[in-house]
This record gives sequence, C-alpha cells and structure tokens, in this order.
Amino acid sequence: MSVAVAERSAAPPQHALRPVISFHGVSKVYPNGTEALRDVDLAIHQGDFCFLVGPSGAGKSTLVRLLIRDEAPSTGRIFIDGQEVSRMSHRKLPKLRRKFGIVFQDYKLLTRRTVAQNVAFALQVTRPGQRHLREKVEEVLWIVGLEDKLDKFPDELSGGEQQRVAIARALVHRPRIFLADEPTGNLDPDTSWGIVQLLLQINHRGTTVLMATHNREVVDLVRRRVIAIDNGRVVRDEAEGSYLREGTATL
Amino acid sequence: MRQVLASLWFALHSAGQNFRRNLGVSLAGVFTMGLIIFLVGGSLLFTHSVDTVLQGQEQNASHLKIYLSDNASLAAITNFESRLKDDPRVISVTFETKDQAKQQASQNPSISSALAVLGSNPLPASLNLDVRKLTYLSQFNAEAKAMPIVDSTTPTDYNSDVIGKLNTVITVIEWVGAIIAIILLTISIVIIMNTIRTAVYSRRTEIEIMKLVGATDWFVRWPFILEGMLGGLLAAIFSGAVVFGAYRLFVQAAQGNLLSVPFDARYTITLLIVLLVGGVAVGAFGSFLGVRRFLSA
Ligand SMILES: Nc1ncnc2c1ncn2[C@@H]1O[C@H](COP(=O)(O)OP(=O)(O)O)[C@@H](O)[C@H]1O
Ligand SMILES: [Mg+2]
Repeated sequence: MSVAVAERSAAPPQHALRPVISFHGVSKVYPNGTEALRDVDLAIHQGDFCFLVGPSGAGKSTLVRLLIRDEAPSTGRIFIDGQEVSRMSHRKLPKLRRKFGIVFQDYKLLTRRTVAQNVAFALQVTRPGQRHLREKVEEVLWIVGLEDKLDKFPDELSGGEQQRVAIARALVHRPRIFLADEPTGNLDPDTSWGIVQLLLQINHRGTTVLMATHNREVVDLVRRRVIAIDNGRVVRDEAEGSYLREGTATL
Repeated sequence: MRQVLASLWFALHSAGQNFRRNLGVSLAGVFTMGLIIFLVGGSLLFTHSVDTVLQGQEQNASHLKIYLSDNASLAAITNFESRLKDDPRVISVTFETKDQAKQQASQNPSISSALAVLGSNPLPASLNLDVRKLTYLSQFNAEAKAMPIVDSTTPTDYNSDVIGKLNTVITVIEWVGAIIAIILLTISIVIIMNTIRTAVYSRRTEIEIMKLVGATDWFVRWPFILEGMLGGLLAAIFSGAVVFGAYRLFVQAAQGNLLSVPFDARYTITLLIVLLVGGVAVGAFGSFLGVRRFLSA
C-alpha cells in the first residue's frame, strides 16, 4: 500500500463545547413496523474516529440514514453541529448534506464518466461554475492515491480503486464529517486495510469519521472508539475498543 | 452569472443526453404528444370553422323588432333609437312607422283584407335591430320590456324557441370541443410523465449521488423539465405544421362545395402559437410530476 499508516494521536481528542453529532433518545420504526433503532443516545466530537459495529440488520445503516436525514427518526432528537436535523425542513437538506462526505459498500460510481469526471460531478451539481475544478479534483485524487488514473473509467479499476474514487468524490467539497457504511464490504482483507488507512488519514487531517462495519479484523487492528449496536440498541461504547466485548464472544 | 451559466449548461447537456440515451422512448413520447397536439389543434380549428359557418346563420337569425306603444312621443323614440345605435352589441337600427308596418303586412293578402275590415291601423311602429350575436337577442328583449315607450302587450318579436335551439347547438359544439381538448391534454401530461419516469429511472444513480452530495431539488429537476419542454416543443412544431397543412386543404376542399369556410389567418396564427406554448407547458408540467416522486424522499 502506498498510503502511509496514519499515526495514532497520543493525546485524547480536544473536545469542543458541544459534540458535532448527538443523538438523544432516538428510535426508528419503519412504516412496515420494523423497529430498527431503539432509544439511542450518542455524542461524537469533532475529530473523532468511530467504528459502528454490529451484525447485519443491527441498525447501522439506519443510523447513517438518520444522520443525513435520508430518514427521519420516529422519536428523539438528532443534532449536527448544534442544528436539529430530526425536524429540519426539506428545503434545508442540501445544505446539511454538504457537511457530509459519504461512501457505501457499493461505490455508486457513474459508469459512463471517467474517474476525474465522477469526482468533478459532486462539485458541478452543488457548486456550478466552481473555479479551479480540475485542480481540486486532481488534489483529492492524489490524496486517495489515484493521481495516475484520472482518465480511466470505473470498470477499468479494481474494487479497492473504485472505492477510492468514491472516497475522493465524497472529499472534494471538504466535508466536516465523513460517513462510511460498510466501505470494505466487497473488498478482500488487504484492500480493506488500505481503505481503512485512508479513512484514518482523512481523520488525521481533522475530519470526523464514522465507519459502520462488521469487519472484525479491521476494528481489532485499529483500536479506536467502538460503538456496538445489536438489535437496534447501543450495547457498548468504548474509547479504544475491539469488535467483541473484551474476553467474550459477544458484542 | 458564471454559476447560472454553468447550471444552465449542465441542465441542457443532461436533457440532451437523456433524450439520446432513451431515444426510443423519447421519440415515442414526442410522436404521441404530437398526435395529441394535432388532435387538439385539429378539433379547435374544426370547431372554429363550424362556429364561423353557424355564425353566418346567426346573422340571419339576429334580427329583433321592438314594438313601440302608440302613444310614445317621437322625442322618446328618437332618444331610444340613438341609444341603441351607440350600443356596441348592435349592428344597425331602423325605425319603422305604423304606416310602413301596414304596407309591409299588406303584402300578405289575407292580412290585407283583415286590415281593410278593421279600418283603423292596429299595427304598432317598431325599431328594427340587427345585433352581432344571437345571445344578445334575449338581452334586448328583456331590456325592451322595461321601457315605457315599448308596447306592453307584445314588446318584441323575439322567438326564444328557435333562437334557443340554435344557441344550444353552438354551445354544445363548443363544450364538446373543450372537453375533448381537456381529456387529450390530461393524456399528454400522463405520457410526458411516463417518458420522464423512464429518463429518471435510467439516471437513478446520478440522482441519488446528486442528493447525497447536496444538490438542490431544482438542480435535479431542471434537466428533466428541459427534456419535457424540448419534447413538447418538437411535438408542437411537427403537429402544428400538419394541422396548418390539413386546415388549408380543408378550406380548399370546402370552397369547391357549397359550404364556404373562410381561411382565418389570424385565428390560425394564434392557434399555432397556443399549440407551441401549450406543448412546452405540458412538457414542463408532465416532467415536474414525473420527477416529483423521486425527489420527495
Ligand atoms: N426501508 C426499510 N423499511 C423497512 N425495514 C427496514 C428498512 N431498512 C432497514 N430495515 C430493517 O431495519 C433493520 C435494520 O437495518 P439496517 O439499518 O440496514 O441494518 P444494518 O445496516 O446494521 O445491517 C433490519 O431489520 C432491516 O430489515
Ligand atoms: Mg447496512
């Protein structure tokens, strides 16, 4: 891997007055009756790196969707940057979403566009007429280590490279919070490790990172904050945790 | 400015791309829309032609005699006559004296002998009106009744029966035309809506990304609305040309026969403009509905 291993910051993060993300008694019941989250309380501070772990169906993706207000909570309140998003009007959503960079297990790349065009797209549709577009695109592609793949099409790249393009696209508007929902779900262990290092590097530059995953090896190797969800409940929240509860076989 | 131009370029570019990528669906949509615009334009022109012909009939039917009371003063009559002359609904007014009425009636031999038996002249003087529209007759009839100088027993020769029937025919034709136009309009909105849904579907990843990175709803919407407007415009241009050609042929054919339908250039131009604007508006509205479901999430 060409990306350097991010240093683990020795000092505990300097917690600002208020968390950048906070959940207060949040529950989510889908229209079909599924209770995906139950009474969740959370606080994540600027500059934190957090793993959100739990088995498939635990409610990780639901939590991510609530953050970007793709879904609204059934009860409880969610604040981003001190702004309540749980009752935010539809009109304000674009501005909220520009605070986030987000990637998923499927890379959601546009197959008819080149790597550079895929990344540029994010700026073209949010800040049309942006100056120095090319430089900005090249800069983020350099950060993710794809500076030599600018004019390739997504299907000419490996899975790991495609995820890097998605990460570059999510980074290009300089988000405050980076969300990754199972970003390594389709990747082999080595490639996964590279992606996680990239996320650590992004965090090292000051961006808050929340990564939902059920990739046990990665979580255990990195030893950062771990929030474990099971059956819609937060069952554990540790500063330097592992995938499973220390010395047990359970979350 | 730079931002506006970039947005416009993005929207136009995407609209063109949509149109080409779903060329089959787009062309089918344009064709169906064109057919509908042709039907709307055609039926409007047909209704207009029938109207014109019927209005010719109306001219004959739109005479009204207002009978004057025998003791009405000449001054009052002249006053009433000049008021009628100034009325925009009136084409012409003529005054008919009792003697003229008797002469006129005497042309019928049986009336003539009856008048001879009576000795005196029972026929009233009248003001004879020519009005512009059939519907004005009932209005003048009502107004005449209220005038003191008008004969109170038989105020006018208004025959509501015949006139009413002719009126009904015209109204029915106009309504049927309007209802057909509304139905066709609704159908074309649905067609555009579905064409745009296909375009939206083929771009779902793109829209998903746009929403994720924080593009505004209008930014997502514009390309599709432009695409709908483009389709509506193309459909209107083609069908407008066909309607125009068909109308000319129809007028020529009609002139060969007894029925003479005049070629109404002003109406035709107005109609073509209405079809163009309507096509574009229907395209925009159909697209708006087509993307709406996708954006509300
Ligand atoms: N749109 C939805 N409608 C109904 N149920 C859903 C929906 N999305 C997720 N669920 C359910 O909510 C629960 C949590 O799902 P999810 O948040 O996707 O879990 P995870 O990401 O941890 O695998 C699951 O039981 C899932 O079936
Ligand atoms: Mg999930």
